[in-house]
Formats: sequence, C-alpha cells, structure tokens
Amino acid sequence: MSHHLRRLAFYLTALWAAVTLNFVIPRMLPGNPVDILMAKLQQRGGSVDPAARTAYETLLGTGGRESFAEEYLAYLGNLLRGDLGVSVSAFPAEVSEVIAGSLPWTVVLVGLATLLSFLLGVGLGAVAGWRRGTWLDSLVPATTMLSAVPYFWLALILVAALSSGLGWFPLNGGYDVVLDPGWSAEFIGSALYHGTLPALTIVLSSVGGWLLGMRNMMVSVMSEDYVLTARAKGLTDSRVMIRYAARNAVLPSVAGFAISLGFVVSGSIVTEQVFSYPGIGSKLLQAVQNNDYALMQGIFLVITVAVLGANLLVDVLYGLIDARTRDRSTVS
Amino acid sequence: MTTLEARGLTKRFHRTCAVDDVSFTLAPGRTVALVGGSGSGKSTVARMIARLIRPTSGEIALTGQDGRPVPRRAHRDHVQMIFQDPFASLNPFHTVEHHLARPLRLHGRSATEVPELLERVSLTADLARRRPHELSGGQRQRVAIARALAPGAKVIIADEPVSMLDVSVRLGVLKLLARLQREEDLAVLYITHDLATARHFSDEVLVMHRGRIVERGPSDDVLTRPRDPYTRLLAAAAPDPEARFRQGGKP
Amino acid sequence: MTWTAKLVSGLCLAAAIVLFGLLGPLLTGDPATIRDVGLTPPGGEHLLGTTLTGQDVLAQLAHATRGSLWIGLLVGVLATVLSGLFGIVGAYAGGVADEVFSLFSNVVLVIPGLPLVIVVAGFVPAERRGTWTIALVLAFTGWAAAARVLRAQTLSLRNRDYVAAARVSGEKTWRVICVEILPNLLPVVASQFVFAVVLAILSEAGLSFLGLGAADSSTLGTMLYYAQNGFALQREAWWWFVPPGLVIALFGGALALVNFGIDEIVNPRLRDRGRRERDVVAVRAQVAPAEPDAVLTVRNLDVVYRTARPVHAVKNVSLTLRRGEVLGLAGESGCGKTTLAYAVNRLHRPPAEVTSGSVALEDVDVLALGPEELRRFRWVRLSMVFQGAMNSLNPVTPIRAQLQDVLRTHRPDLSASGRELRCAEVLRLVGVDPARLGAYPHELSGGMRQRVMIAMALLLDPQVMIMDEPTTALDVLVQREILNEIKRLRDELGFAVVFITHDLPLLLELADRIAVMRDGEVVEHATAEELYLRPRHPYTRELLASFPSLTGERGALLR
Repeated sequence: MSHHLRRLAFYLTALWAAVTLNFVIPRMLPGNPVDILMAKLQQRGGSVDPAARTAYETLLGTGGRESFAEEYLAYLGNLLRGDLGVSVSAFPAEVSEVIAGSLPWTVVLVGLATLLSFLLGVGLGAVAGWRRGTWLDSLVPATTMLSAVPYFWLALILVAALSSGLGWFPLNGGYDVVLDPGWSAEFIGSALYHGTLPALTIVLSSVGGWLLGMRNMMVSVMSEDYVLTARAKGLTDSRVMIRYAARNAVLPSVAGFAISLGFVVSGSIVTEQVFSYPGIGSKLLQAVQNNDYALMQGIFLVITVAVLGANLLVDVLYGLIDARTRDRSTVS
Repeated sequence: MTTLEARGLTKRFHRTCAVDDVSFTLAPGRTVALVGGSGSGKSTVARMIARLIRPTSGEIALTGQDGRPVPRRAHRDHVQMIFQDPFASLNPFHTVEHHLARPLRLHGRSATEVPELLERVSLTADLARRRPHELSGGQRQRVAIARALAPGAKVIIADEPVSMLDVSVRLGVLKLLARLQREEDLAVLYITHDLATARHFSDEVLVMHRGRIVERGPSDDVLTRPRDPYTRLLAAAAPDPEARFRQGGKP
Repeated sequence: MTWTAKLVSGLCLAAAIVLFGLLGPLLTGDPATIRDVGLTPPGGEHLLGTTLTGQDVLAQLAHATRGSLWIGLLVGVLATVLSGLFGIVGAYAGGVADEVFSLFSNVVLVIPGLPLVIVVAGFVPAERRGTWTIALVLAFTGWAAAARVLRAQTLSLRNRDYVAAARVSGEKTWRVICVEILPNLLPVVASQFVFAVVLAILSEAGLSFLGLGAADSSTLGTMLYYAQNGFALQREAWWWFVPPGLVIALFGGALALVNFGIDEIVNPRLRDRGRRERDVVAVRAQVAPAEPDAVLTVRNLDVVYRTARPVHAVKNVSLTLRRGEVLGLAGESGCGKTTLAYAVNRLHRPPAEVTSGSVALEDVDVLALGPEELRRFRWVRLSMVFQGAMNSLNPVTPIRAQLQDVLRTHRPDLSASGRELRCAEVLRLVGVDPARLGAYPHELSGGMRQRVMIAMALLLDPQVMIMDEPTTALDVLVQREILNEIKRLRDELGFAVVFITHDLPLLLELADRIAVMRDGEVVEHATAEELYLRPRHPYTRELLASFPSLTGERGALLR
C-alpha cells in the first residue's frame, strides 16, 4: 500500500472511529440521558415538544424503539448538516454556537503556548545536545522533573504566588469582564494579559519533554557519519549544528508533535478549569456537570476533528522537511 | 546423506523478479558455489531453500539416505543455514549454550552434546557459558556453524559466511567448513561474491546475475575460462596484484 | 551521573515512596477521623498538620499514596499488556495483521484521551465510577503511544539474522517472540511501563481534580481536590495542598531518573562522557624536517582513548606521503587505521586524544592549529572520503546544498552561478550527470553516492585526500569502477591519496607504497612491489596468504 493511501485510510478510519464512538458511548453506558435532558429542558422553560425529543433521541439513543442502523443513519445525517443539537446548559443556544464562541479562545491560547513550548524545547534541546556536559545540558533533568509535576498543582501554586501574592497577573478569566469582546486594542491587550500566566504554565510543564527528546536525538545524530563529514568539510560550527545535526534530529520531534496534540488538548481542559478560561475545555466540563449531553458530544467531536486536522497539517509539513517520506512507495 | 534439488525456483517481490527460474542440485560431499554481485538474488535463493521465504513458484525436493523423499515438516532436520554476519546472527541476550542447546533439543537430541559440538568446530567447551559480545568474529561464526550442525543437518547453506570477518580469520573458517564437509559428507551451498574462494572451495559454480543463472559448470572451467560476459566482468573486477608485478606469469 | 547512578538513585527514591504507600497506612491513624483542630500547622501531634476538618494530613497522604500507586500499577500493567499485544505481535506477524493493528493503535492515539474520559465519566453516574472503571478507561486511552514504539523496535528486531536463525532451527513462532525477541525488548518495555505508570498517576490526579475521579478510593488526586475545594491555598494552608503534589512529583521524578538510566542502556551514545578540553595534548611544536617532495608527514604519532582503561590506539606511527602518491594503509578491524586517519585531520572524537607526535602538511603544523585555523585548513588542503557513502551524505538535503556548502564556506567570494558551475564541473569529473544536483541521497545508488562524495572531495582541489574504505560497502563491479575512477582522477589532477582498507590485494594493485598496521603500530612500510615480492614481517605474510588467488593452483589452500 502506498504511503499516501495508508495515510488517507488512517484519517478516514480515525474520523469514522470518533464519530462512531460518539454515537456508541451514550448507548452503551447506563442511565437514560434523554429523560434527564428533557427534565432539564423543562426546568429551563424550554419547549418539550416531540420534535426536540426526537432530536435528542437521534443523538443519544431511543431505548430500542428504532433499530440501531436507523438511529446511526439519522445521526450521521444530522452531523452532515452540521446539526449538533440544542444545548441545555446554554438554552436556547445551539451546540454549534456555543462551540464557535469558545473554540477560538482555546485554539489561540493552547495553540500558541504549545508552539512556543515546542520551539523553545527543540531549540534548547539542540544546543544542550550539541554542547554536551555544559550547564545547559544539566538543565535537562530539571525540566523533565517539571513534566512529572501534576500540571494543575503547579499552576495553582503559581496563581497563588504570582497572582494572589504578588498581583502580577489576573486571577482568572480570559479578559476583563467590563470590556466588550471585539477587535479593539484594549480588549486584545486584556486578553493577552489574561492569557500570559496560563500560557506560561503550559510552557513550563511541557517544555521538558521536547527538550529531552531533542537533546537525546541530537546526541545520537552527532555520531552519524554525515556530521563527521560536515566537520571534515571545515564548515562553521553553527552551520554543522543547524543544517546537519539539528535538521535531522528534529524529525522525530516533528512527528511526535502530531502525536502529542491529543495530550495537549487534554492538558488544555485542566488549564481552563484552573484559570476559569472561557475556552472549549471549560465548556466541556460545564456540560458534564449539567448533564448537557448534546454539548458534551459536540465538543468531543470538534476536539477530535481539530486534532485530526492538526495531524494532517503536521503530516504535510513532515513531507516537506523529509524528502524520503515523499517518494516512499512502501513503508517498511 | 541428503540430496537437495531445486527446480525452477522463482521469487517475485511486487513487480520485480528477484530470482528467475533457478535450478540446481546439492549432492552429498559436494560444494556448489553461488556467485554474484549484490542484488543478484543469491541471498533470496538461500532464504528460499532454508524455507524462510516462500518461492513464488518452483519446488525444493529433498531425498534422504534411503532414497525416499523427505517430508516437508522434516525439512529443518536436514537443511540448515549459516548467516553472513555473525554479529547479527547470534542473539546478544543469550549464551552460546542456548544457541546450541535449543536446536539440539528441537531435533530430538540431548543438550549434553554441546561440548562435543563446540569441539567439532575447533572451539573449547568453556565457551558455552559466554555471550556473543565476549567472542571474536571468527569464534562467533564457528558457533553459528555449530548451530547449523546441531540438528544433524546434511545440507548446509552458507550465505557469505566469511565476508564480514577479518581477513586473517577468513581462511580458517572456510577450511573448517571444508573439513566438516569432507568428514560428514555434507552437501554445501556456498554463496559468495568472491570468485577466488569460490574457486578454491567448491566443485561447481553457478554465476547469478539479475536473478538468473548466467553460467554454470565445474569451478575451474567457469572461473579461469569464463564464457559469459558478466562472469568475465566479475573475474576482471577482482584485484590482481600478479598482473602488476609478475607480468609474464612466472612466479 | 553515570547511568547506573541514575538507575539506582531513581529506584531508591521510587522504592521509598512505594514503601511509604505500603507501610504508611499501617502506622498512621484513620485518615477520616474528624477533629476540632482544623488547619493546624505542622508540628506536634500532627506532623504534617491537619485539614479544614481536622483530619491528619500525614495519614491522608499515606492512604492517598497507596491509592495512587495502586491505580498507577493497574494502568501500567494493563497498558503494557495492550501495547505489547498490538505493538509486538502485530509487527512480528506482519502483513494484514500489522496493517490493522497499527491502524488501530494510530487511531486510538489521535483520539484525545482526556476528553474521551470526561465524556465517558459524564455518562457514568458518579456512584458507579470505581477504581477499576477509571483504570480501564485510562489504560485504554494510554497504551497506543507505547505500542507504536514497540512496533518500531519489533520491526527492526524481527529482521535480525538471529530471528531468522531461530526460525531455521525450527523454533515455534510464540517461542521466537518470547525467547528471542522479547528479552531484547525488555529495556524498552520497562521504560514504556514506567512511563505508563507516571502518566496514569498524573491523569488520575487530573481527573480527580476535575471531580471526575473514582468515587470509592482516596488518591493524591482526590486529596488535592478536597484541598482545592477547601481553599487550602487561599487560607495559606500550604501543608495541606503542597505534600500530595510533591509526592507525585517526587515519584514522577524518580521514575524519570529510572528512564534516563534505561535510555542510556538502550542507546550507549547517550551515556555521559567527560567533556574534552583539547583534542591534542602535550605536543611539541616541532615539525620534523620533511623530505623534499613530501606533502604529508606524520612523525611519532600517538593516539590514546582516555577511557577507564586507556587504549593506546595508535603507537608511535611515522608516515610520509609524497606529492601525487597513493599511500595504502592496510590492517584489520581495530588496528587503529581509521583512528590514525581521523587524527591526521583532527577529527578524532573524545575520548580519543593525540598524546604526542606531529602532523605536517607541507608548511602547516596541523596539531598546532587553533580552532578557526583548523576549520579553514580542512577540505581546502585535505579532504576525506568515508566508508559508508549512504551515511556520509545528509539524508534530508539535496546534494547540491551539500556541495555548495563547501564553496559557500571556503570560497565566499564565488557568485551563485560560479558555485553552480563548479559543482556541475566536479560531478562531470566523476562521471555523474550534473542534472542530478537536485537529487536527494536516497535517490542515488550506492556507487553514485560514493562518486558524489569523491566529487565533493575534489571541490577545492586539495593536495591530499584521505579515503577510508571508500569501496568496501559496494558491489564488486561498482567497486572496480570507483577504483578506476580514483586512479584516473589522481593521474589527471595529481593529488596525493591515503587509501585505507583491509583489502591488501586491492592496495597492491593501486598503491605506490603500503603501510601495514597491527595493534596501533605500523609493522611494515614499503613500496607495493617490495611488500608483495619480499614481505618481511610475518603478519604481512599472513595477510598476503589470506587472499587466495584466482589464478594459482586450485585446492592448494585446503591442505
């Protein structure tokens, strides 16, 4: 099977698996979510008309009144139309609206912080590997220890110290609530100010992994013959380090970047909880606490699709930086 | 005493034909050399005969001492293989003892034969407790030969058995193989890219090029008077100091 | 720290925490007992103080440590079994099974774990969320990364000859996997297990912090959850909030140390090496009077590997390379010929050190050059061709970039078109179509790559070229072509060559003079003809006798 076909099969299977998981989970687990939802809806003064019930049943299961296959087809049909149902906790907003409102916060905060952490880790790792045995190299175990610390614990201590204690950063939230969200300079500045500490905690707790991986690859690559050849060619140290050693050593880190995205999203949920950040992770938790099953499922689906999309992006990027994958007709 | 006959062996990988219609007979007490450059398909032939890979077509028939065909499941009692790289063909995790005792037991013999087996390949019995990394390249290849002998095999496939060894121990290993072959009446397939050792250590030579046998015959005839253009190229490629310093041919 | 020190200190710390989890609950009181001494600071009766409701923090910590370790162990074992099943078995079986297994692992890997866990936890009522439910869900979302690693390792192991040898000797498949492959995977499996345990403890803590943990157990995560909800930090009750996190961090750190140790066992390149201040020590800046037409003169060179037991790799070697001459350096593996060649260009890596002697290229005292001078000297005066052409070229850049690098560095004044012209010119010299400049190394055959390396070595018209086994890895016919190419270029361009190989007959044909090395010493140094017709040293004679001739009497060797 060719490389590209294999990747295509992978993405399609992953997408199908995510969609199907979403369909199967509520039907496999105990409890009757539809009844709970209807009760909630009623409390909030929502309409309890049969149409709303049918919509939820398509999403969560009818308790055996329709066949599994029929339910599945109806569910897929709704998904294709982009209809994720109505949120109970944010009634009467549609699930898709709730997601659209919170997704950008997460993407910007977590995306930027992760990218920053990756670049910082890979950069420092390259230098640490190149200059083995120097002070920078002895930094590696310390940063790895940071990755073993429970993230939220570290974050809460930092909040206590830097925000409550010293007052350098706001305690929580994504922006100053007195401002109206919009593209004003004041609002963006406030968002940046509120995002700094969360981003800092993400970087602190994840940079060690990148650093260690890159440093170890760098050390391995440095004993390759092409690095020796580059030195024999009389190239400058920086050129050998960047163009020959780091250029090759970074490949596994880039491949690992795709894999880590799933973990990054997981981390972001905890981050948003700690900082009461208005992103998609805190919405997911709200949904769970309020039994808002439609929102839960919609968010899970969006997160999975986003991770898949990011993977695809990394795949394309990897093809660009390593020619060998491009012409590989068979994967060994 | 076992005779192996390969008829019309062919192996295709995807679209390329690695081995194309190769036939030969390995008879007791005789060594056949299979000679060719890299990628000629000679190692694929070895792996098919050892039943490590399945031929696309063709057959491998064994005839036992009693003149009757050997059943397929007994193939490995009769045919064993020696690999090219003794650094890779011994498991770094296990002792020499393990490498020899396992095949002995698998073929219904007793592990107490290990010291005797080591002796047959001119190694001392105290080596049994060591691990591969504690042995020299030549010692390792001798262990690999002993492993091939352990099941009582009568057909031995030696895939470039000395090309990864230091030059000064190569002849020793080849001589050991030749001695075992004489003493035990083995049928040997000697696979190599080195025409000179093929000539000295074999009775018959098959020259392989791009999956086909391009020339075959008694080793002296083929290697000293090659007819096929590819064989000629091969013969001419070997360094020949004599041509430089002893023009005129007289030693 | 050496790898053993890392392993031992990591294991000790981890063992201490495990002991605390095992024995602590027996020694401390009931963690749930409520007293009216809420938020007492550490000291006295309560070594670590009390919680908001007066419970003893130390007792809670002991029980919570046990709970967390238990979850970590459960998940670690489950995830390792799953990853072994999908990683090792799939990769060994190959074919469709491997395709399906690896597709499955990859899909599980991209489906984000925590959101999935949260969704599942959201559907399962809290009272039915037990330790086992949480462990199963964490194991299921946590095994895939390890499976990928194990698959890659198994794929490389299953093609090893010893696996083929075990199959030839008639071993059953399950035995091949369990006895031949698995032991060699142990360090990797161990490191994946350790990683899974840490990840499980951290994930469980995260889940509990979100209020989605196991309802029936007390773990460090639930302890933190209560501390957070009791506003421990806001009340400055650090003794309540800090210890649980610290225990996790210490345990994670200990296991990270263990993993460092395992990494260095698996990959010896990672082991600590003393940093070398200098590559050359104690050299008298005295260049021996050179012979008139000598281009490279090596005098009394000693190279020592400064390891625990120092190895004297090159002993008192003196060589002279004359203008336009081919000097052959013959010897077997470990004789020091490559170390010598690298030391001449000061490319030897630590712990190798030049301890005495001199190297002079015409007027340049190579051992006395400063780093920048050395860099300017390399490739301009002396270039090299290495053994594995596949590995000598950077796999991720086209060969154009690798050729131009040299010109960019050493001929900064040359224009872009000038560089391009020169690169095309040297490629043509070695018989490679300049249209291949845009090709990547993997697109070229072995012979082509070696030609490109020779072209690269010619770029700056050096006086000396050191060739280290340049033809060894190549097919016989390609080897012949490359040799003819080297001879022709030497005649046309007149550079001098140091040609290193174990193949004495090849040198006898190619070299003007030959030095035979053994155990770091040059045992014989003579013209090719002299060495062939009248070898003096017994080792030279032994080497010569090791190469049967294609033309001599047949069967003579067997007697």
